Amino acid sequence: MSDKRPVNLDLGTFKHPLISMISIGHRISGVILFVGLVFLFCLFDTSLEGPAEFASAQALLQEDFLSQFIVWGLLSSLGFHFSAGMKHLVMDLGHGEELETANNAAKFVVGLTLVLAVLAGVWVW
Amino acid sequence: MLTVSVYRYHPELDEKPYMQDFQVDTGGKDLMVLDVLNLLKVQDSGLAYRRSCREGVCGSDGMNINGTNGLACITPLSACVKNNKLILRPLPALPVIRDLVIDMDQFYKQYEKVKPFLLNDTPAPAIERLQSPEEREKLDGLYECILCACCSTACPSFWWNPDKFIGPSGLLQAYRFLADSRDTATEERLADLDDPFSVFRCHGIMNCVTVCPKGLNPTKAIGHIRNMLLTRAT
Ligand code: SF4
Ligand code: SF4
Ligand code: FES
Repeated sequence: MSDKRPVNLDLGTFKHPLISMISIGHRISGVILFVGLVFLFCLFDTSLEGPAEFASAQALLQEDFLSQFIVWGLLSSLGFHFSAGMKHLVMDLGHGEELETANNAAKFVVGLTLVLAVLAGVWVW
Repeated sequence: MLTVSVYRYHPELDEKPYMQDFQVDTGGKDLMVLDVLNLLKVQDSGLAYRRSCREGVCGSDGMNINGTNGLACITPLSACVKNNKLILRPLPALPVIRDLVIDMDQFYKQYEKVKPFLLNDTPAPAIERLQSPEEREKLDGLYECILCACCSTACPSFWWNPDKFIGPSGLLQAYRFLADSRDTATEERLADLDDPFSVFRCHGIMNCVTVCPKGLNPTKAIGHIRNMLLTRAT
């Protein structure tokens, strides 16, 4: 009987505080960045093959919305990954372990990410 | 009328757990969640949940209330009900025995691991082991834990490694004895915790601090242990 016991682990029914969203987001953005690097390397590889390829890679980044969007997404992820990572580092040093400071830090991370995302957007387009 | 949606599971009758809706007349009062459960019990005497002290002292009625872990007896409806709906589920991640009653075995095993008692190999003094007020103060915010398991069952690291990661509650207790001036087993205690899982699975998600009904801060205690482990290693 006991091995059939159900477990309540229905993530959709739980409330997830902002701090925990940032923590999981930090890992997701890490994975995104890793996968995204493959795309960037392909592009980089193409651009090194010759002047014509370089031009087409350049055109891709200047005109193709999808690639621009990917680059923007990657930069934003990087911004988030960076700010959340800084928060983790600071916490590891023993600061911001009170709930209130941690909550404020979490909000700050979100704010900083938005700013960085806008800056990245300006830079890409 | 308040709609209360409760997680039901009877090991002999149900294949799978399901949510059952009740209508409860609260008389317009801001009852505690436990009071509502008692009203439900009148409607369905088969409903199972744990409770004892009804004042946040015993730690038996930890449950997931509208998505957040807490003690039913000290959570007023006004603090959790949204859209006139109360959703009660058992604490996450531990096996459900019946309805809102979970099997806390795994949780207690982790507690046991940290040897939650004073270890002192010096001869006992005639009356008692004394502490200065400052030494005693170090235990504030640690000894108040009532082992309700709200924190550990809200911790994603504990969800995925309930057998290897001690969890916030156990680690808070581990630090309670590491910080005790009367305890002489600091070195052994640290040696027991020094592996990749026991302490270092904590990623500072702080769900534990968010939910602790006694307002304790396991994250901070874990930070102290981590520092002790790192200092010891260098
Ligand atoms: S801070 Fe550590 S112990 Fe607390 S919920 Fe997060 S991972 Fe778990
Ligand atoms: S630390 Fe808080 S939430 Fe965790 S078991 Fe103790 S009292 Fe409950
Ligand atoms: S009944 Fe004792 S803590 Fe709620």
